[in-house]
Amino acid sequence: MTLAPHTPSGRKYNANEIRALVNTDTGRYSPEIYTSEDLYQLELERIFARSWVCMGHETQIPKAGDYQAAYIGEDPVVVVRQKDNSIRVFLNQCRHRGMRICRVDGGNAKAFTCPYHGWAYDTAGNLVSVPMEQEAFGGKLNKAEWGPKQARVETYKGLIFANWDESAPNLDTYLGDAKFYMDIMLDRAEGGTEVITGVQKFVIPANWKFAAEQFGSDAYHAGTTAHVSGIIAGVPAGTDLSKVQPPTDGMNVYIGNGHGCGLFSRNPMFYQVICGPQLTEYLTSGPAYEEAVKRLGQGRADVNLCHMNVFPNLSFLTGLNTVRMWQPRGPNEMELWTFTLVDRTAPDNIKEEWRRNMVRTFSASGVFEQDDGENWNDIQHVLRGHVARQQPFNIEMAQHTVQSTSIAPGFPGESFAYTYAEESGTQHLQALG
Amino acid sequence: MLDTASQSAFQVKPELISVELQHEIEQFYYWEAKLMADRRWEEWFSLMSKDIKYWAPLRSTRSHAAEAKLEYTDEKGFGHFADNWSSLDGRIRKITSDVGWSENPASRLRHIVGNVLIWKDRQADVYDVSTSLMTYRNRQERQTDFFAAERQDRIRRVDDACGFEIVERKILIDQSTLLSNNISFFF
Repeated sequence: MTLAPHTPSGRKYNANEIRALVNTDTGRYSPEIYTSEDLYQLELERIFARSWVCMGHETQIPKAGDYQAAYIGEDPVVVVRQKDNSIRVFLNQCRHRGMRICRVDGGNAKAFTCPYHGWAYDTAGNLVSVPMEQEAFGGKLNKAEWGPKQARVETYKGLIFANWDESAPNLDTYLGDAKFYMDIMLDRAEGGTEVITGVQKFVIPANWKFAAEQFGSDAYHAGTTAHVSGIIAGVPAGTDLSKVQPPTDGMNVYIGNGHGCGLFSRNPMFYQVICGPQLTEYLTSGPAYEEAVKRLGQGRADVNLCHMNVFPNLSFLTGLNTVRMWQPRGPNEMELWTFTLVDRTAPDNIKEEWRRNMVRTFSASGVFEQDDGENWNDIQHVLRGHVARQQPFNIEMAQHTVQSTSIAPGFPGESFAYTYAEESGTQHLQALG
Repeated sequence: MLDTASQSAFQVKPELISVELQHEIEQFYYWEAKLMADRRWEEWFSLMSKDIKYWAPLRSTRSHAAEAKLEYTDEKGFGHFADNWSSLDGRIRKITSDVGWSENPASRLRHIVGNVLIWKDRQADVYDVSTSLMTYRNRQERQTDFFAAERQDRIRRVDDACGFEIVERKILIDQSTLLSNNISFFF
């Protein structure tokens, strides 16, 4: 499979046309948002080039000179740890003829040299050396002007974010109340989280918004048919499946700025079938749980699973601690980049349980993730049809079944007192306009 | 040099073994491939020993001179598979389920096994075997995925019709970013 070329076809959208694509009052929206090449180009410009996009985790590049490749939309970037412990993110493109400066997934470097004409950069992305600079440029090249474009970089409890836009709000403001829910995964234990080595990357021929929306607002698919076989794979042989009922005591939260999440409270069923008994015990009782209660409060410590999307394309599952970025590759394709976090202070056997069970469940071969890849693939295939693209899709769910209420004291956001609601997903589709 | 194995057995040219033993082990692998192509997953799973370690590291693009050792994740890293008998048993329950959408309808699979190199272990009747694999997967209307891989196996002779059981399988896939939407089958 090769990346399909994509070029804008010239269809222009004005702001009103874009807003008309999603109508939360009638609970309808147009599938055009998943197929239009021109909307996709606008997404790269107005969403990915302006948002705080996740680059990975600090423990992936712990030492000075450590670097890894990442993407902001379709723009490749290099993420590098500096000598002063700060992190730089710069476009992986030499300004001379546009060659990719760094061609590997990661490592440790003292400098980066463009393989085409040998322009050399320090680990901060400054152009420091140009071959035959005196002879060819007469000593007049202003190297300070010709380094690759730098992004703003900020971190939140281990996660690294970058943003091209100088006028965008800072990360703290951008995340807003999302931090309250992110902390359930990132701040359960002293010292936070660390990464299990390795980023799994695979290609799904579907629009990135299907995935982002699912993690933002779709507990419904997990509570119905999508993952029945994943649950079958996780319960001991011979178990009566009728005893493994999907939980209905949860909430769906629209947080603002396009961020969304859904919570299951005090129902460790999903932990049992996804994480196994040892990790379920670690997460729901004993000293690690007591510490989580102290740090997060009882309400958040008792959240047994939280699916979340931080706009636009960072998703994770609290407790399971699978973290993923949906990298857009045209309207019809994405790459899933995923890694797993563990509490830094967790015992080795618990870290091992996290590793084994996330490979088993939420990975390319995962007994849950396999079926997501299958569904999105088929949706996108059907949308090749002309008539299929004229049929509005349904997002009425939250309007009909629930009223906006507050979840629990201190839980921020606009919330819906039922696990299965779609409000948090629909809102973020409007960011484009 | 490519650092592909913690088991150093796979790094030196094997001593010649009898034509009959070579034939016997190759036939075992051809039969295993047929069980997978025919979706006889329970029978395929019965080839795994109770202490099976079935795993596939992630592979990344690295500078060959300096950082080749980082090319594969190790046993503590993330992977495409990290299974024991019990978790493989769960995977078999899924792949044979009516509600396992990734394999219902099922993929059409073909595993071509070649380059069968066999090392005798110090223990009698235990062998380390490297096989090269071309796996073709076609499903639904047009979806087609190709994988090439090396499998580094440890197999043990058993007294049944198949003749061997697989004690360890390490799958080294020749892709960094996986060029498929999932891995819903076995290598």
